[in-house]
Amino acid sequence: MAPRTRKAASSPSPAPTPAHDDEVPPVPPPKDASAVVDVDALLAPVPGEGRDEVKVNNASAADMKHACDDALKRFLSRPDLFKQIHTHTDVRLALGWLSVLVAGATGLYGWRVPFEQSKPAVWVGVIVYIVLTVVQTLYAYFVEGDIVFVGKRKTFDKRIVTERITITARATPSKPTAPPAYALGLAYVRSAAGGKTLLGKGRTQEERPFTEFFDVKGVMDQERFERWVGTVVGRVMDGKAQ
Amino acid sequence: MFADELKTLRRLGVRHVLLQILNFVSVLASGLMIWKGLGLITNTESPIVVVLSGSMEPAFYRGDLLFLTNPTDQRYQTGDITVYRVPGADIPIVHRVLETHDFTSKKKGAVAASPLVQKQLLLTKGDNNHIDDIELYQGLEWLERKHIVGKVRGFLPYVGYVTIAMNDFPQLKYALLGGLGLLALVQRE
Repeated sequence: MAPRTRKAASSPSPAPTPAHDDEVPPVPPPKDASAVVDVDALLAPVPGEGRDEVKVNNASAADMKHACDDALKRFLSRPDLFKQIHTHTDVRLALGWLSVLVAGATGLYGWRVPFEQSKPAVWVGVIVYIVLTVVQTLYAYFVEGDIVFVGKRKTFDKRIVTERITITARATPSKPTAPPAYALGLAYVRSAAGGKTLLGKGRTQEERPFTEFFDVKGVMDQERFERWVGTVVGRVMDGKAQ
Repeated sequence: MFADELKTLRRLGVRHVLLQILNFVSVLASGLMIWKGLGLITNTESPIVVVLSGSMEPAFYRGDLLFLTNPTDQRYQTGDITVYRVPGADIPIVHRVLETHDFTSKKKGAVAASPLVQKQLLLTKGDNNHIDDIELYQGLEWLERKHIVGKVRGFLPYVGYVTIAMNDFPQLKYALLGGLGLLALVQRE
């Protein structure tokens, strides 16, 4: 992989932390680069790292998209990269399990108590269930949308710098002229002082056909995928930053 | 056989497993809520029933699916097909109303012809039976409105055999449930 040249930063910072010794690419980063160089090193996929083989049905765009989403989450959730924020998942789980519990309680009550007597409580249960289901659907459609990963990263560079990345992904359908593709969208914000000072923002979108990452048997080339994700994330991270 | 799926599940973490289990359980929950909601709308505890015997032939055969409602503001008339359950009997019976007797309320100001003030007593008989249902009433002489589950509004032939098969062969029920569960656990939306 070609070494990335870095723009000289206004404030030089210490060399990359020793924990990354086994992850640094063949060319060591220059000493006067900014802390962003660490991220570049981290964003390179580690060759030969023990990975489980991912094999999916390559005729299903949905399966391939899920495999790519999982690879993306695994890649970006590594210890010194982003920490995944699970808010959307947690809300979905909470609403879902709550509605299941309401349904179970209503069913149990309706089973134990004679019909005429149980009617008011069962009405309440059914209406609460419908409300919860509608809220779930609206949340998934409007708030969550296509988001697959929300990550946060805190680094210390004379002050606490917080970075937040939101990644959306869609699978574009197959057309006679083009194979199905994975459309990645990134939104990146970098701030300091607990989010009050905006240091940089970036937004990008890129699409690659699934044929680049999956072979004829459906085995995923994770290293190639991670390399591509690494370049896109790296680009958005230093696009308008510093 | 499921080694690949188990490996994937272990790799994806607790939240993912909870999500997949939620997928399965919420299918069951929505089915239950649809059933209960239908029961509330039709005002009957069992809005869809399956015919088990041949006592209503040639109108209904064993295995037919019946759709019931239980309107509180209409009186039951001779000729209506009702499903009733006598206290002490474990299964409901679907037979036709043969006789009705109405008792008007003695309350002052109550209009005699209004259906809501009337108390109804019913006698039923299956179309394919020779005698009326007195012997099935477990000591009662008449059926009252509170014993009636509902009135038949429509039916679908043969579809009820699925329920009959699942009752007679419980393994089929568990196999179906197990298959659904497995599918919901490994499939992602």
